[in-house]
Amino acid sequence: MTFGRVLREAGLEVGPGRIADALTGLDRVGLAGRDDVYWTLRTTLVSRVEDVESFDRAFAAWFLASPRRPVYRVRTRDPSSSLAGDRRVDAPPVGQASGDDPTGVGWSSHEVLRRKDFASMTPEEFAQAARVLAEVARRRPLRRSRRLRPDPRGRSLDLRRLARRSLARGGEPIERTFRRRVEVPRKLVVLCDVSGSMESYTRALLLFLHAIVGSGPRVEVFAFGTRLIRLTDDFRTRDPELALAAAATRVVDWASGTRIGASLKTFNDVWGRRALTRGAVVVIVSDGWERQDSALVTREMARLRRAAYAVVWVNPLKGSPEYQPLAAGMRAALPYVDRFVAGHNLASLEELASVLVGIERRHAA
Amino acid sequence: MGAVIVEAMAFESIDALEAALREASYLPERGLSTALFLGLTLEKPLLLEGEAGVGKTEAAKALAVATSARLIRLQCYEGLDVAHAVYEWNYSRQLLHIRAAQEGTVSEQELFGPDFLIRRPLLEAIESDDPVVLLIDEIDRADDEFEAFLLEVLSDFQITIPELGTVTARRRPAVVLTSNRTRELHDALKRRCLFHWIGHPSLEREIEIVALRVPGIPERLAAQAAAFVQGLRQLDLAKPPGVAETIDWAQALAALGRDELDARTVEETLGSVLKYHEDFAAVRDAALLSLVEEARAVAAAS
Repeated sequence: MTFGRVLREAGLEVGPGRIADALTGLDRVGLAGRDDVYWTLRTTLVSRVEDVESFDRAFAAWFLASPRRPVYRVRTRDPSSSLAGDRRVDAPPVGQASGDDPTGVGWSSHEVLRRKDFASMTPEEFAQAARVLAEVARRRPLRRSRRLRPDPRGRSLDLRRLARRSLARGGEPIERTFRRRVEVPRKLVVLCDVSGSMESYTRALLLFLHAIVGSGPRVEVFAFGTRLIRLTDDFRTRDPELALAAAATRVVDWASGTRIGASLKTFNDVWGRRALTRGAVVVIVSDGWERQDSALVTREMARLRRAAYAVVWVNPLKGSPEYQPLAAGMRAALPYVDRFVAGHNLASLEELASVLVGIERRHAA
Repeated sequence: MGAVIVEAMAFESIDALEAALREASYLPERGLSTALFLGLTLEKPLLLEGEAGVGKTEAAKALAVATSARLIRLQCYEGLDVAHAVYEWNYSRQLLHIRAAQEGTVSEQELFGPDFLIRRPLLEAIESDDPVVLLIDEIDRADDEFEAFLLEVLSDFQITIPELGTVTARRRPAVVLTSNRTRELHDALKRRCLFHWIGHPSLEREIEIVALRVPGIPERLAAQAAAFVQGLRQLDLAKPPGVAETIDWAQALAALGRDELDARTVEETLGSVLKYHEDFAAVRDAALLSLVEEARAVAAAS
């Protein structure tokens, strides 16, 4: 029983039901073999591979009385985080600005705002922009599901209802009922660069991503600088400020260097292998400044491209009229990108949203 | 509904189960046999996760053989719904029946009776009086709604058909779920299940598996093939080969009549181990020779 508490302290979720299973299990298996005890406890108490390591440490510390202590999950705060930084202090909390009707933004000021670069916005403008972002993010690319719904204009006969209705008419299928395929949101995977060179855009883009996560199921969001971190769960909370704060504590390398190739590789290895990419629209948000190996970028982009339905690259620098894709990483990646868009201001994110809705798979060359 | 059949499919001990699995040509690591044993004794569903090709599905099949139970498999996919997982009415038969009765009237009860019911895997598993191993394969591919439905079935082992009433299992099937982790499963479902992660087997175990699954393979070849694949797993590959690939490959090697591994044979047959072109090319161009040498050395030592 005490072991259960040790596990909980080590960050595992162990409910009373699991403890009961573990005890019954031990009773059946017997306490003679250390291996059997280990496997019995692990099978009953652990439910995710990620937790196996913590479990092993706790098991070693507790049962084998080894000197190693279980490692407690430490949540460090990063005070230098650009997310929780100065803007947050000045800006009114997003979404609950007092008496400020979101639609009250006049058209002309809206238009100016739409065209304004995120990097040069004042906190007030930014708060307005954040509200528009949430609107834009609601539209998602669709995919035809295998499920069928009743629809009078559908193509396939709904035999179940047909049989039932015919009953009243002596078996004559007078009234024909049809079904058609439902459209569901296509899987969307976003990989967002949070390295130093992207700093002025990170906050706006992450707010956009948060809104996308809120748009429905099948969205995965990752951040990368020097390493890849999954943010989807942090972004599930409704309040954008809370979500960003949670993300800030998770990402340790804000505003540091970029390793695009290595991050893509981690993504392909860990998540791609679990088929997360398959059939998904993958959006990469980055300026393409790869510090290290652009050959790796080429290779990993090729891998990504093969599994994905479509790949979209968002580069805030593209907003500048004299932009040329000179960064080595960007040049390496471009051949594998289906759509290349800017994303430096609201207008360009609107464009991104409509690109996402209308995207078609590029035919295999 | 009749009394619940208590006589369980359980084994006396883990060793007894292991022996039965071995009889079914399946060699589990101790962890997996413990997990299967607990699944049977605690009558809880077992969730198996692991890389592709480590033998998740095979484990369920072997369990069915070992317990002399019928294997009922539900392959999950996106959009899987009740009509394909639980039951459906046989509409064409219903319509024919109505037509055939012509003047006489057909009652709704008659039309929605057991005769017109098509049983899909879940219903079949629950209705069965014989021991059943229910394999719910690749549950991560089904959508959330189905997972929620499954949760209900797995907690009560009963299914309600509005027209017929509730069917309750008289004998709980042994349930094995597999997942490739394309998405995280719901906590509620995980809480209902025992969990085991199947990893790649140790060298000794893999040699044993190859010898068992490829009858007649020369001992030395089996050892070298297993060692070679173990070496491949150390490399940085897009898709490291699983045991399934080792077995395929060993079969190919045995069919070619080789009794030892050499660079040329490996190059010719590597396609059955590495399924991605980059992996194939990377190994062929860089690591092949040293890997063959290493595998020969390791196999000689074991």
